[in-house]
Amino acid sequence: MRVAERPDSADPFRDLRALIETLPVPSAPATYTQREAALGLALMDLSLRLEHVPRVAEHLTLIDRGHMTRSVSVDVDLQAIAGAQRRRITTGSSLWIPVSRYSRSDLAPVVVKDSTGAVVPRFTHRDSNRVTAAAFVRLLSMLIDAHPDVTARDTVVHKLRHTHQRSRWLLEAAIAELVTAGSLPETGIRTPLDYALLPALSGAPGREVDARAVRDLALAGLDELWPADARLPFAHLLRLACSQYMLVVLLDAAHPRRFLTWDAPLLPGRRPRAPIQRLVQSLLPVNREFVVEYETAIPRSVGAYHLTVEVNEEVSVRRFVLSSDVDDDFVQTLRQDVEMLASASAGAGVGVGEQPHRKLLELELQGIASRLAEVGRRRLTDLTNYRRYMAERHRSLGVAAPALLGADEVVAALGRGDCSVPVLAAFAAHYSADSMRHLARGPLAGEALPALAAGIRDYQLGHDITTDNDPRENGAHAHWRHPPLDLSPHSTAPVRAVAYLSLADEAPALIEGITRMVVGLALVVLGIGTLLTGGPQWLYSGRIVPDSVPAQADAVVAVLLLVPGLLIARLDLPSTHSVLGQLRQFQRTIAFLSVAVTTGLAIAAGTVHTDHAITRALQAGVAVLGFILVCCLLEFLARRARRRNPVPWSDRLPHWLTATAPRPRRAYAPDAVFDARGEV
Amino acid sequence: MALRTSRSTELARIAAEAAAADASSVRLRLVHGPAGAGFQGLIKPFPDLDPPLHEQAQWPSDFWTFSVAGLAMSVCAWPAAATVFSSPFEVGAPRPTDHPDTFAYDGFSVPNPGFLNEPNRRIDALLTLNSTHWAPSYRDCLVTGVVLARTCSLAVSRGQSPIVHLHTPVSPFIDQQISARGDGSLERLRDAVGPCVRVSVAVNPQEPTARLAFEQGLVALAEEFGLGLKLNDRRFNRVPGEWFTIRGFDRERYRQVRARLFPDTPMHLPKHAMIASVMGPARLGMAADVISRLSANGVGVLAAAVSSVRKIGFVNLVLPLAEGADLAAPAWSGQWDDGVKLIAERCRTFDAVGADHGEVAAYKVALSPPMPCSYPRSSRRTGASVTGRVPYPLWLRWDVPNRTVGSPLLLSMVEQNLAAYAEQTEVAYAQARVGRGDMVRGRAKLVVLLAEPPRDVADAQALLNEVAERVQERTLEQLSDARLVGPGQVRLRLSPRERWLTYAGISA
Repeated sequence: MRVAERPDSADPFRDLRALIETLPVPSAPATYTQREAALGLALMDLSLRLEHVPRVAEHLTLIDRGHMTRSVSVDVDLQAIAGAQRRRITTGSSLWIPVSRYSRSDLAPVVVKDSTGAVVPRFTHRDSNRVTAAAFVRLLSMLIDAHPDVTARDTVVHKLRHTHQRSRWLLEAAIAELVTAGSLPETGIRTPLDYALLPALSGAPGREVDARAVRDLALAGLDELWPADARLPFAHLLRLACSQYMLVVLLDAAHPRRFLTWDAPLLPGRRPRAPIQRLVQSLLPVNREFVVEYETAIPRSVGAYHLTVEVNEEVSVRRFVLSSDVDDDFVQTLRQDVEMLASASAGAGVGVGEQPHRKLLELELQGIASRLAEVGRRRLTDLTNYRRYMAERHRSLGVAAPALLGADEVVAALGRGDCSVPVLAAFAAHYSADSMRHLARGPLAGEALPALAAGIRDYQLGHDITTDNDPRENGAHAHWRHPPLDLSPHSTAPVRAVAYLSLADEAPALIEGITRMVVGLALVVLGIGTLLTGGPQWLYSGRIVPDSVPAQADAVVAVLLLVPGLLIARLDLPSTHSVLGQLRQFQRTIAFLSVAVTTGLAIAAGTVHTDHAITRALQAGVAVLGFILVCCLLEFLARRARRRNPVPWSDRLPHWLTATAPRPRRAYAPDAVFDARGEV
Repeated sequence: MALRTSRSTELARIAAEAAAADASSVRLRLVHGPAGAGFQGLIKPFPDLDPPLHEQAQWPSDFWTFSVAGLAMSVCAWPAAATVFSSPFEVGAPRPTDHPDTFAYDGFSVPNPGFLNEPNRRIDALLTLNSTHWAPSYRDCLVTGVVLARTCSLAVSRGQSPIVHLHTPVSPFIDQQISARGDGSLERLRDAVGPCVRVSVAVNPQEPTARLAFEQGLVALAEEFGLGLKLNDRRFNRVPGEWFTIRGFDRERYRQVRARLFPDTPMHLPKHAMIASVMGPARLGMAADVISRLSANGVGVLAAAVSSVRKIGFVNLVLPLAEGADLAAPAWSGQWDDGVKLIAERCRTFDAVGADHGEVAAYKVALSPPMPCSYPRSSRRTGASVTGRVPYPLWLRWDVPNRTVGSPLLLSMVEQNLAAYAEQTEVAYAQARVGRGDMVRGRAKLVVLLAEPPRDVADAQALLNEVAERVQERTLEQLSDARLVGPGQVRLRLSPRERWLTYAGISA
């Protein structure tokens, strides 16, 4: 998959096992009240779904090349919380409401304010940890009570529930410790056992009261309660609990619609390694862009999400595109269905070793075709919006008339794995026009299926895009809306979104000032040379004009030092740590280079006393300035090409979009990646 | 470990619902009795419950009723405070109610957060066991038992999936001929009940191979028994109630198989039947275990309703009483293994080889006393006989805020409003539960016998449309006038066509 997935973090069951091995065995049960457990479970449930948050807005400000401030505002609708849930989170006349989740690595304090600017009380981390631990302990007890073995004597679960309670307490203590202290380090020194050389077990059965027996039973209970194929839901919950904090605020129940805002902790950027690309960008006239990628997670139930970005006034936003994976579950299921049908049609069998029944095959293919057509319609809407956005940016980026495809051509293209948007759009049109009535006997049924599955996967059809609609040059805004018809109605996983932001130094840019300066310096050098030699022949003739050495070298030196000094002083050369400094790195280089040339000429004028040497120095100086001027012109050409680039060269944008580029290009590494998903 | 999962949120939701002190267990009441007794006995406060439900009794979180052949079963469940733990599931002794032959069983269950199936895809299948009207003989009942057992076993062995719903008999569905199809907005008039099995299986969307294997198994089963098979049309934008025909019913093969399997069993209608409700914490394979074991004991199945209520699995079976069985047998409840013996004593109609070989399972079972059966007058295919005096189905769907109007009350209101147009009305099936946003969402199928006999099929269609619309508006007016529900808070739709209940939605 081209959109990089974050590697999954460690299995929390591994941490639980390590803690069961090392924690002191409790001799009394944990003292969590039922109210704490109910509050913890209600908060966990509400924070995972966030159904009471209909709108989220994020405002980002890029303060330098590696840091971003992030201000979040949310609308909260307390009426969306069911009555039974409200009772569990009520304290007096107010309610504890989770409004967000964030990573445990963000430790800066967060101050939440309401629409009047008043600070809203927050749940402390300590309390949050305690109720979450209580919630997990309660969940453990529910799972034990509902286990089929709970009434069968001498089973592990029966022992845990009725007779060997210290093992259960140990399990509870391990869960509470994991929730309170967070995940153990993934590698290296994890527990005290890593320091100790324990004697080998004798093999003789120990007493039931021994710590070893208690730990063994707790470990056996872990396997019994959560067999490897059924532990995912609990493991996922536990991993979230030990890697994230909930942001819980106290809101007055009398005002059900609230607006809250807070400044999230400063977001540090990650700079992917790309040394060759960075060198090229710094040294060559390629019209450097500063590319920022911002990753975030939008709760699935959110109806509207606004992302606003603001940068330095002198920096322009060249492209801003937001891509979310809102339809990804739907498309993944579609792909799996196609793969399954491909293997079944190829005789790999459906568990019984026979080909699928013809009508079953038709039903499956019709289901696949109708979903593929719907995906095609959606992506075509996205692509049309994107093209309109591009056409507004540059007239030359308008839409050319598409090639018209017949039904056979569409099916043949799909059979080659071509799931580009024009093909899918044509497929949707043919499907709507009843051209795909009998698919089981058609060419899409057999060998085309594996390629189709590969195409669906490669083109990332589950990712949508939203474009910039901010009229400011130094700002960008994207308004993402939840599709009116949710294709994954059962999913509650948050929607992951990536914003691609490319910043550039647009007109009036530094390069224009530098070009003028270089032209001026070249004219100064040309003028000095022409005046000293009595004509322009020195520039193109190899003949040395006698008496070219200036009679008053000090005056020439003064001109060659003062003029560039004055010109460069009028240029605004920013600090290299800022985004502007990064964008103007090449311009800085050539500005300093041109001054270096004139300074070199000044040195030559002051120290050289032969006609030959001074003529050659002037010629070399003009040549270098000419070269710099060519670089400036190349920079202009590169800027023109970049502005006309129809698709950003990024691998975080869906492939169905990047595939619309006339020529495939290698993706560039971004300059900064900001991750606000809170999953680490 | 896949990062994306929605089951964890389902787990959190179940646990959160069950965590509070007043909701950490599930109380339930099951009522068996003759059809038409109403739901009053169902929502009375528990007499000897600690703490008692009192005012909560009329607001069950889950409600389910099923009525067929003159017998009815209803279940209500409430979240309740926990008691001292003895076992995960308990059911009390039968208690007589105000109505004759009607018995209530009060039960208790711990929450069952280990049974998660929310984000699954569903496969709906409609198996046709006969093309005539619903009049199952003893022999048909035995075949139905075998087919149900095989279907449930397929769901477990091939689909690795639990049964979400299983019902028989249900309304049959017959495709319209192309010449009569028109623009496809209409459908043929359907019988209220027919010899069909409707099963809904929740399959893991990550395992499409298991789904196809299950479907392929169903096709093989249908071919073996000559059954008709339809699967839910899973094209995009199709809704529940739209079917895709895989194969038609093969009468000759069905008769051959029936005669081969059960050659000596009588071919007349059972006159008496009893309801057996098998209950326990919902587990994968529960329905397959129960029905297979009964089938292996030579017990036929007249009707079945399988579903789960707050993660408690229910297998409700209407079992035809063997000829000569004791009609005065009392209602009974207890352990599954004892229940199987009792059922076999009363209902064995075929001497099976190697009977009663099932595993010991911790289910509980409630048995009703024997009750006389009555069968609906249905036409052979379309429901429009010469006189047109046959029962027709009406489908109902409602969304109301919790604790405003209880589902039993709402159904009674609809029934009363239908009485003006119908000679007879019966709630054949209804299920409602409190869901997202504290809303009660329910679906029901009502069976009506129109007071004014329609002249022909077209007339019947028009009459049913008009009746459904009037009753729908009248019920909404009543709800509004009685100030039971605020304006705009209730959604209610009554229609003679199932798929018109949900115009928008996806079945993919």
